[in-house]
Order: sequence, then C-alpha cells, then structure tokens
Amino acid sequence: MNRVIETDSPEVFADEMEKLQDTLPKKIDANPQNVEKGLAKLVLTLIELIRKLMEKQAMRRVAAGSLSEEEIEKLGETLMKLENKMKELKGIFELKDEDLNLNLGPLGDLM
Amino acid sequence: MTMKIYAYGVIDSDKKIDESKMGLDDAPLFNIPYRDIGIVVSEFRSTQVQNEDKASILKHEEVVEMLTDKFTVLPMRFSTLFGGKEHISLMMRDYYDDFKENFDRLREKVEFGVKSIWPGDLIRERIIIAHRKNDNLPLVANSSGKSFMKEKFENYKIDKEFEEEADRCIAIVDGFFSKFISEKKLEKLKTNNLLLCAYYLIDKEKEDDFKKAFEELRSSPSDLKYLLSGPWPPYNFIILTNSRTKKIGSLDMADMVFQRKDLEEKDRT
Repeated sequence: MNRVIETDSPEVFADEMEKLQDTLPKKIDANPQNVEKGLAKLVLTLIELIRKLMEKQAMRRVAAGSLSEEEIEKLGETLMKLENKMKELKGIFELKDEDLNLNLGPLGDLM
Repeated sequence: MTMKIYAYGVIDSDKKIDESKMGLDDAPLFNIPYRDIGIVVSEFRSTQVQNEDKASILKHEEVVEMLTDKFTVLPMRFSTLFGGKEHISLMMRDYYDDFKENFDRLREKVEFGVKSIWPGDLIRERIIIAHRKNDNLPLVANSSGKSFMKEKFENYKIDKEFEEEADRCIAIVDGFFSKFISEKKLEKLKTNNLLLCAYYLIDKEKEDDFKKAFEELRSSPSDLKYLLSGPWPPYNFIILTNSRTKKIGSLDMADMVFQRKDLEEKDRT
C-alpha cells in the first residue's frame, strides 16, 4: 500500500486534531480515588444532553412562533434556572463545559 | 504466565501466512483458520497493551498493511487481546456471517480520509456582526425570562446559520469525490474550525482518480485547507451485527477510527 498523507498545512491540522483529542475523552475516568467525580461527570453529561435538547426544542418553537408571550417568559425562567443549577453542580465537581461530553466510538460524540 | 493472543485482523483465507513476519513483542504471526477464513494473531506475554506505545501502534499497522497487500482484511482495533484460542473460535463462530458479508462488500476496496479546515472563528464572527446589524428577532426582552430566551435565540440563529454555511462548503468538497466512491461517511464540525472529516470507500482501481480529484480540490481557490490520507484498510466501513444475537457487534473493529487517527497523527509528525 503506497499510503500518502498530503496537506499544505500540517501544523494547522496537527493543532486542530490535538484540540479534538483533548475534548474527547474515550472513557469516563472512574477509579476508586475519584469515583464520585467520575459518576457525577456521567450523570451531569446526561442531564446536560437533555437540557440542551429542551433548549433547542424551545428555540425551534420560538422560531415557529408557536409560543405565547407568557409561555416564552415561563420557559425562559425555567431554562435559566436549569442552566444556573448546572453551573453550580459543575462548580461543585470541578467540571468544565468540555468535560461534559462522551465519545461513543463509531457513533460519534454525544454532544 | 498465561499467554494472551493479540489479534491484527480477520482475513479471507484459512491458509498459513508467511510466519517469518513478526508482530508485537517480536512474536511470530500466524493465522487461526475458521471455516474458509482466518484471523491473524501473535502470542502476547502481557495482559494489557499500552495504548500510548507508538512503536506498538506502528507495528500493528505494519502487520495490517502487510496483510492488506495479499488479502482482504477486516482490521482489528489496536490492542485487541483474546484470552485464548477458544475465545477466538467463539468470536469467529458468532461473527462468521458478518465477516463474510464484509469481505464481499469490501473486497478490492480501500479507504481514503479527507479532512478540511475552514476559518470557522472568522465565519462565526461575520455571522454575529450581520446579526447585530439586523436585530429582527421575534422577542422583546422586557423580563428576565424573555431576556434569557432572546440571548439563547440569538445564539441559536447564529449556530444555525453557521451550520448551514458549513453544509454548503461540505457539499462543494464532497462533490469533488462523489463520482469515484462506493460509500462515504462525513463528520461535520468536530471543532469550530475542523469543517469536515470525511471517509471514502473506493475501488482500488480508482485510487489515482481519487487522488487527482483531491489535487483539483486543493488547487481550487478558497480559504479552506485540506488533508488527504490513504489508502487505508476500510476501518470505517466494517459493519457488524452478530448474526446469532442480532446485536451490533461488540468487536472493536468498527471503532478502529481511533487507531487510525492516532496513526494519521504519527505519520504526519
């Protein structure tokens, strides 16, 4: 096999791939020393996924004009509180936004 | 210490292979036949393969490449270890039909990878500026809930436009290759700037056409940067659905993308 790797910008690609590898843990790092954090990370990742899905659906409904002023206000308050609560929990477990993702192998990333 | 068996790939042959070739730990390679196919392995003394061991990753790939020159290969993920020959027999029995289907589909085919980087940060900035100029959002921020929704909606519109722009660019890039390929997998915006990671399955005889198409793409005027890699064994196109359990295969072969990325990285450095 005469394999080639061709690019005019090897450094740019190397940097970008490095960024990608930094943001995509292949597995939850759970061990006896940090099992609490590992578990929190998994649970918060799932909550974050659901929160983002809810937020996206809300935006779609705003775009479609299917929400009343009152509903927008209520939804906004709810989503805001949820976001603040997530920030608080991330702070408690010392997790960053980019920690809340999972690489699902051939299926791609969770978020 | 019990010997483990390190697996490199399943091949469409039940015959002996050239056993003068060595695998990991300088152990000789051999083919374990199952019906009319086989799995190429070597004995392995440790219980675990060090994932970060570059020499081992390259050795694994060297073996897979050597096999690819002679057979159709369904490569195993780097660091695939079996407890013994009996485990291998069970796996081969469970996935035999899948392997045969994959051999039929992937025979005389290779995989190429195309990556493209665009100035995502600049494009996003441009979209944000355009949005600030035309603030025509259907929301009036006269309360905390509505302010929150307005901000989120603004970001939603920007993200949407950003993705639409990405789709337009990807369609152009992909268009250069579409007439040469059998199958493809496109991954969009894995980072803000990494516009596209594309995997193309092509007939071996179309390799030169594919490379020419890449050269045409690369010389076309645009802000995009490109990387071509290949030909690879078809890591990203192996489909496993254990015919006995009807479950998606638990083998790591479909997951080889990780290993391939590692290798791409190493080839470049």
